[in-house]
Amino acid sequence: MSAVNSKQRQFDALVRSLSGDLFRYAYWLCGDEALANDLVQETFLRAWRALSDLRETNAAKAWLITILRREHARLYERKTPQFSDVSEIDIADERDAVQPESAGEDAAIRAAIRRLEPKYREPLLMQVLGGFSCEEIARELNISAAAVMTQLFRARQKLKVMLGDGNKEANVYELS
Amino acid sequence: MNCLEFRRQLGVDPHSAGADFVAHRQDCARCAEAAARAVEFEASLRRALNVEPSAQLAESILLAQATRQQHGRRTWLRRGGLLAMAATLVLAIGLGMRVEANPLSAQAVEHLRGEPDALTSTQAVPAATVREAFATRGIALKHDISGEVVYVGCCPMGRHLTVHMVMPGKTGPVTVIYVVDDRVKQRDNFQREGWHGRSAPLGSGTLILLARDTGQFDSIEAEWRAALQG
Repeated sequence: MSAVNSKQRQFDALVRSLSGDLFRYAYWLCGDEALANDLVQETFLRAWRALSDLRETNAAKAWLITILRREHARLYERKTPQFSDVSEIDIADERDAVQPESAGEDAAIRAAIRRLEPKYREPLLMQVLGGFSCEEIARELNISAAAVMTQLFRARQKLKVMLGDGNKEANVYELS
Repeated sequence: MNCLEFRRQLGVDPHSAGADFVAHRQDCARCAEAAARAVEFEASLRRALNVEPSAQLAESILLAQATRQQHGRRTWLRRGGLLAMAATLVLAIGLGMRVEANPLSAQAVEHLRGEPDALTSTQAVPAATVREAFATRGIALKHDISGEVVYVGCCPMGRHLTVHMVMPGKTGPVTVIYVVDDRVKQRDNFQREGWHGRSAPLGSGTLILLARDTGQFDSIEAEWRAALQG
């Protein structure tokens, strides 16, 4: 098998196995389905050019998420999209439209996740969707591991508060 | 590990597998119950985050990669020709001509090459879908256009965000690409790879038209100017 074919096969396998996970991460990072699709595509196109940098297949997801985060940051460096005539309500409806069947508990959790501040949401996404450890999140966000642990703890606390006292998960992390 | 430390760790990572964490969970019934609820909540969280991408996502990425690679190969084969062209460009700059490294017109033709199916669409797209596509890019249309649109997509074009449409015409389909995040300085007509094209500043972006002839460009440009600017 030639090196070119080998690279192409490796790339095809990565796209087929990880584009869904990357999309989920991108979607919750930017909150826009079309932009998430663009981000994932650009991430894989950059990954193609740098595929020789990927030493371990097991590390592919974390590597791709790192590229995606940089791509997202670049996008916002270049231009912040103007949502001049689109209300917050419109945007929220569009997000819900990704899974029209969403209802009940899932919809409530999604709404709560959207309301989380980015500094709490992103470490949570990296842990739950990306499978990153606290140390890996710390390196990626350039903060201490202790700060990551605090943010993850608070993210879950804030979610349970937003989900209300009636929720049975409400007291899971209570320290009293 | 005491109960307080266990509950803190539970909030940081409910799936923690540390020896102290596991040992405390086995020894403390209340904390074990809390851990079970936390794991249940994590499952709910994971389910809520599980939004599905479009079924064509993987294929569209592979198509984009193949298109760029093919273009790169052609570029390599044309390198000799490019060297000569580069010399011409240097001369042109010397003569005071404005030269863009990769103008939007070239990127639009390249994008069209990667999406040939768009030109074969025949079914009319509802005006609401066109409005939605622009809204997705952060733009509210002032009016719906009266002309028919048979394809609409929010496409990345190189590093740019666009709304890509196709309008049927008497002499063949006209591709309409609105580049949201880059504005050319002036209207320009061009020809590339057998396509006639026009790029024109419109609002904060650029309207690009591509077709086999220019017969419908004026009316289509006027229609989009009214739709975007009122």
